[in-house]
Amino acid sequence: MTLLLKAESITKRYGAVVALSDGGLELEQGEIHALLGANGCGKSTLCKIIAGTVAKNSGTLSILGRAVEIGGPREAEALGVALFYQELSLVPQLSVADNIFLGREQRSGAGFLDARALRRDTEQLIARFAEVAGAGFSADALVSDLSPDQRQIVEILKVLARKPRIIIFDEATAALDRNQVALFFAILRELKAEGVSSIFITHRMDEVFEITDRITVMRNGATVARFVTAETDRQAVVHAMVGDVTALAERPAARPRSDKPARLVLESVGNKRVQQVSLSLRPGEIVGLGGLQGQGQSSLLQGLFGAAPFTSGTIRLDGEQVRISRPSHAIGKGIAYVSGDRGRDAAFHGRSIFENIAAASFSKERPAMVWPGRLRERFTKAAATLSTKYAGLSAPIGSLSGGNQQKIFIARWLATQPSVLLLDDPTKGIDLGAKADFFALARRLADEGAAILFYSSEDAELLSLCDRILVFNSGAVAGELEGEALTAYNLTNAAYGRAA
Amino acid sequence: MNRLRSTLTDPLVLATLSILVLLAAGEALSPGFARGDQIVRLLVVSAILGLVAAGQSLVVIGGREGIDLSVGASISLGAVLAGNVMAGQDGSIFLAVLVAGGATFLIGLINGLGVTMLRIPPLVMTLGMTGVVQGALIVISRGIPSGNAAPALMAFVNRPLVFGLPGILILWALVGVLMWVLLRRTRLGYAIYAIGSNERAAELTGLPVRAIRTLLYGLSGLFAGLTGVIVIGYTGNSFVSVGDQYVLPSVIAVVIGGISLAGGQGNYFGAMLGAIALTLLTSVLTTLQLEFWGRQLIFGAVLLMLMLLYGRAGRLRA
Repeated sequence: MTLLLKAESITKRYGAVVALSDGGLELEQGEIHALLGANGCGKSTLCKIIAGTVAKNSGTLSILGRAVEIGGPREAEALGVALFYQELSLVPQLSVADNIFLGREQRSGAGFLDARALRRDTEQLIARFAEVAGAGFSADALVSDLSPDQRQIVEILKVLARKPRIIIFDEATAALDRNQVALFFAILRELKAEGVSSIFITHRMDEVFEITDRITVMRNGATVARFVTAETDRQAVVHAMVGDVTALAERPAARPRSDKPARLVLESVGNKRVQQVSLSLRPGEIVGLGGLQGQGQSSLLQGLFGAAPFTSGTIRLDGEQVRISRPSHAIGKGIAYVSGDRGRDAAFHGRSIFENIAAASFSKERPAMVWPGRLRERFTKAAATLSTKYAGLSAPIGSLSGGNQQKIFIARWLATQPSVLLLDDPTKGIDLGAKADFFALARRLADEGAAILFYSSEDAELLSLCDRILVFNSGAVAGELEGEALTAYNLTNAAYGRAA
Repeated sequence: MNRLRSTLTDPLVLATLSILVLLAAGEALSPGFARGDQIVRLLVVSAILGLVAAGQSLVVIGGREGIDLSVGASISLGAVLAGNVMAGQDGSIFLAVLVAGGATFLIGLINGLGVTMLRIPPLVMTLGMTGVVQGALIVISRGIPSGNAAPALMAFVNRPLVFGLPGILILWALVGVLMWVLLRRTRLGYAIYAIGSNERAAELTGLPVRAIRTLLYGLSGLFAGLTGVIVIGYTGNSFVSVGDQYVLPSVIAVVIGGISLAGGQGNYFGAMLGAIALTLLTSVLTTLQLEFWGRQLIFGAVLLMLMLLYGRAGRLRA
């Protein structure tokens, strides 16, 4: 076997945050190579560095034994590296050929499109996939007339048209159904036979064992293990992803399970991104939503809050069936939603802290008139529960640090005295001190009787705070962990899909 | 130094300073410019602009590139409708206000629905509405000036009512107070700033963003229609393009007053000062015997200069 790509001791820092401390990858010619790891382990950063969309701070990259510097996506392309995006947008009004060569059209001498060359190249590409492509798939077919499977092929042809030696598939199968995955794997094997190498990132462990030749595992920004797929098993791989289990933070003593009737019950709710999720949440309980990022955790919370309503299933609050089709319904029923994306989802930029806190209370209590003087005390108290540091309620929200801003947005909901809290990765990008304050608060609110659903992209946060964890994979609950089963190993294992 | 700079770029300070400078300049160019009765006349003209600017303020604060270019057409419509309903009769004033206000409120709501439900950019929607209303006005009136102001209305606009001030100025002060109450003492007012500042966050705190924004365009139409009634009281009769001259100034007044065209910022008090400053500027330019085109040129230049100035100030603050 020939070593095609070698990445060694790659590092990448974003300000004070180290995304990669020791990234490494060895890719052989004509292999399918899985890159695995928990959220934030650095696998996406490493891929972006190889594809030239992110610049490394140090380390070496070599292709076929020759050291290379990849300064940008164009240079990566010239070296034969291609990145495959699932949501790479096709233009439905254009033909297959036009889509494949969009932006990279061949020109004739006078600078016009060389239609003949375009057609010839497209037909050569398509011929390779004649067996799998199905009827009606030709260079001139409009993309809008193609089936979803065929569009998938166009996406792949678009990558292949650049004649790459290395293709990075980052969650390429995430949105595919079973048949499409089978088709995709057939194409992957075809490429392999032609000597093209693939780096394959997925959140489904059974796919890893079905298709890949070797596995590289990353943890906390470093490459920690390499396996030959045929010589290992799921357990060994997951152990490598989780690392030394004893090094985990101490969990607080398990609290007796509350025997109060459930406050919130979901019965097979679903929408575009959430599939048939059922759960029940008691007062005083903190239930975590775990799994890799983007597996439907946020969508569940937003669905429950009415921001992206469920299209099926039922919601019960205190035993009573309720309909929540917009946020005001949820707020009226005592549900609060704290987003981790403060700038986009929460901040009223340029407005005062007072106004930023008031918004939710006004929606819930619906006063016609506003008397700021009478509300100041109440809002000050809400902000004080989180030991927020601020100059005064009339200071603009932008005068606060990220962590303190997030405290204000939590205070916004505390002022409504919610009975159900939906926390959507709320600690994203805030400092450790603010995180600690936040955890203490969540625990206290639960002890006072609130029911909390908590999604975090950091497994350690879930394990240290939650009474139970529902692990998501592809929009559905892939496992539920409780008591002794609340371990990093089980969490990662479940995150990569149900064990076959 | 920093404090000095931030004070100097504070729109309210800037507007007040320009008012003083323009008054001094006017007095220097033509003695008597700043006499009491002259100032009252200037304020009456400012009040008319100020009333349109009230609606414009709401739309601009409400965000998502909010702007209402159809205020001119709505003023014309309000004036023509009111003039024909009144037909010189004092007893019909109330009905005239009702008809003019009702029709323009409706037109504003249609603007709002186009912007919120069909997601048409406000600039395009309100410009299109301008064409529709103006066309309809010409068809209805056949282009001939029609309608007469009732004597009581003309007195209300032009004659002293209390303390030597015409009723229109009292009305304007009242509108100022009402706008302050609306924006700072009602839940709706807080919601207006919220949707203007961050629409998604507003939705996620349960605000009916579309309904509120539609209402704002409705209110802008209403204010324009009522301005039309005042305009016919000021001039005596109405013609189909009487409102056109207020479109650009209503936007400039709002910007002078420190209401950010990006939404979510500013208050009506600033727009009132803006209306006064702009009216003074017009008056000084007229004293200089500048033609209509010259005034338009200077208006446009002032608007662009302000955008540049506040744009820079905004960046410095951020």
